[in-house]
Amino acid sequence: MTIRQTFLAKAALRSALLVSCLAMAAPAFAQNTTLNVAQQQDPQNLDPIDTFRLSWGSIGSNIFESLVFRGEDLELRPGLATGWEFLDDETRIRFTLREGVVFHDGEPFNAEAVKYTFDRLLGAEGSKGPQRSNYTSIREVVVVDEYTVDFLMQRPDPVLITKLAGYGAMIVPPKYIQDVGEDAFDMKPVGTGPFQVVEYTPTVGVKLAKFDNYWNGEAEVDEVNIRFIPEDATRIAELLSGGVDISMNIPTPSVETIKQNPNVDLVAVDGPTVVLTRFNTAHGITADPRVRKAITMAVDRNTIVQALLGGLASPISSAQGVKSFGNDPELEGYPYDPEAAKALLAEAGVATGTEITLDMPSNDDTFREVAQVIAAYLEQVGLKVNIRTHEQGVYFNDIIENGKTGEIYYYGWGGWTFDFDNTAYILYHTGERFNPYVSDAKLDELLDAQRQTYDRDVREVALQEVARYAHEQALDLPLYNTSTIYGVSTRVEGFDPAPDDRARYMNVTLK
Amino acid sequence: MTDTLQNPRLSRFTRFRQSRFAKFEFIAGSALTSMLALLVLFADILFPGGGTAVNLLERLSEPFQSGAHLLGTDPLGRDILARIVHGGRISLTVGLLSALGSVTLGTVIGLYAGYYRGFLDSFVMRFADVQLALPFILLAITVIAIVGPGIDRIIILMIVSQWVQYARLVRGSVLSLRQREFVQAAVSYGLPNRKIIFRHILPNAMGPLIILLTLNVANNILLESSLTFLGLGADPQTPSWGGMLSEGRSYIQTAWWITVFPGIAIMLTVLGLNLLGDWLRDELDPLGKTR
Repeated sequence: MTIRQTFLAKAALRSALLVSCLAMAAPAFAQNTTLNVAQQQDPQNLDPIDTFRLSWGSIGSNIFESLVFRGEDLELRPGLATGWEFLDDETRIRFTLREGVVFHDGEPFNAEAVKYTFDRLLGAEGSKGPQRSNYTSIREVVVVDEYTVDFLMQRPDPVLITKLAGYGAMIVPPKYIQDVGEDAFDMKPVGTGPFQVVEYTPTVGVKLAKFDNYWNGEAEVDEVNIRFIPEDATRIAELLSGGVDISMNIPTPSVETIKQNPNVDLVAVDGPTVVLTRFNTAHGITADPRVRKAITMAVDRNTIVQALLGGLASPISSAQGVKSFGNDPELEGYPYDPEAAKALLAEAGVATGTEITLDMPSNDDTFREVAQVIAAYLEQVGLKVNIRTHEQGVYFNDIIENGKTGEIYYYGWGGWTFDFDNTAYILYHTGERFNPYVSDAKLDELLDAQRQTYDRDVREVALQEVARYAHEQALDLPLYNTSTIYGVSTRVEGFDPAPDDRARYMNVTLK
Repeated sequence: MTDTLQNPRLSRFTRFRQSRFAKFEFIAGSALTSMLALLVLFADILFPGGGTAVNLLERLSEPFQSGAHLLGTDPLGRDILARIVHGGRISLTVGLLSALGSVTLGTVIGLYAGYYRGFLDSFVMRFADVQLALPFILLAITVIAIVGPGIDRIIILMIVSQWVQYARLVRGSVLSLRQREFVQAAVSYGLPNRKIIFRHILPNAMGPLIILLTLNVANNILLESSLTFLGLGADPQTPSWGGMLSEGRSYIQTAWWITVFPGIAIMLTVLGLNLLGDWLRDELDPLGKTR
């Protein structure tokens, strides 16, 4: 009897346990799937017209859409517009809009929304942010009917269609913004994309949730939790420990670690970002083009790319990668030739042991190594390089902008349009914000001229000419085009790595 | 001062154990510190080139594989052992200079404040209280953000924030020494105050000062490493222990030797100095007054 009782008691206990297990399991099945993502930077503002950071692209591309869509293959396709045509001698571009699209707040997408978006971008609100200057070629957007708009052009803008696929041209909801105000929109914006913003906590992260009424299918995961982890080592540790499923901005030193981990894959694509060191062409020994050429010839880029960056980059001869429009495959960089470099330095009257300074932002682990290799190369031709590091914000907004750099300084730029115009204008046109030193009538003229035409052939010749001229004058030391590297957990499927950092999470599934 | 007084309160066994341990402390401590001092002194002869020679072909060589790179190489192919030895120079320079600087400043201020009392004393000591309340790392980060990073600045910062502890210590000793007969006698002889302070008071306040000094050197070596680790100290090219730790961080899973060896170097140095300091304390203060 006792035995039987025990047995019964045990059985009862077991079934009780089983039930409680089931009870626990049941909500687990119903639970939402959450994709965890880590990225280095906080865009600080989710409003598309207030930012130019790549860190916005990897969030905003999931929330917003624009008239033109450019996906992972960089081809331009219809987005919220189903088509467009050039009219009136290319001074008017007519867009036909997609019907049946709604914003996250239920507002309909139509011609009014497009007009509102561009009025806002080109008006007072837009002038507070950095995006407006990209779109000033548009004079006005005119509503033709509910689903047709005309863009009246101020001047030709050959990169406009590409630029309509990104950043400042994201379509925003007129009623919502007027209701909640601009400040609230910065923190909790509404778009037409596959995910809507649940919560944005500056410096911490963004939580996104699937938008059920999305016009173009349905996101596979219910939630995306994007966290900002500025510290490289912490971000990698989170990836390796399974805390995040996808980590963006993998620094080169961590590549080996990720390759060796069976639970994480390394995914790399050619990115838009080029890394160069620029010369102070106004002051010091680098004001002499011979010295600049000598420095360029003293550094072996191929070895840096192969040995130090593990081949996850390609050497460049101008400030653009091979995917960039305006890249001239014929243009060869200066060869690595330390002897010729020494001769040029001697010719320019630079004494052996002359000290020069290289400035760089302190948070870039990869470039810190590259900078030391550059210093070692330059030491071999008799230049002593002192590396000075600065806090990132100080570096870009003060040291570069106000021309306080030493002879050489770091510059990394991701022209997401993959059109050399974007990079070249910023680097070489007189008076640009991040161009403290270069001012050359010939470059200004070439750069301005190619902005006046839609003719791709004419533009390509002009942009190649800019690259060649910069090369001849040795205005900078082009180093390499970095790959955009993602660390992706093996439980993630369907992640298509975006070369331009604009990661999209709609088709991602979790095992 | 030199012959060890036996503490009557301690049992024979404890004394025996203590003396054995003291001997160990002395031998291990002085062996470690003198080894470090020798390495640092002869760094240029042992490893000419300063450990800065970049060789990308030999990057990330494993340790104990070749005689050329006994402790392996870092991501730029630089010899870890050479960098540790040269990095020790930075660490030791910072540790010694900052400790000597603050001990000098702090002692002088403490002596005068304790001897003369009055307004000077209360002003300096209230200032010291404020200074002690400021966390050093916070102060360092703020100042470095304004004036830019550099080893010289780190040393000055350490002096500025650490003289206080010496000043307080010395002032305390002076307050009690001032009441002692030999000082009273010196005063009644009509000796000038400066002479009384430096000839009669200072030598008797030295014991605890020296002890604090050794511990301070060790502590400042750690601090320098932390600051360089945070990117506030030595520039990237100068080999330093903290800098090596920081650079090796992203490689720790694939190339442990970049971080582990400088870490061991820091540990041994600090351990050596602490052991020496401990031994000195027992020697100079056998009755355990400062404990």
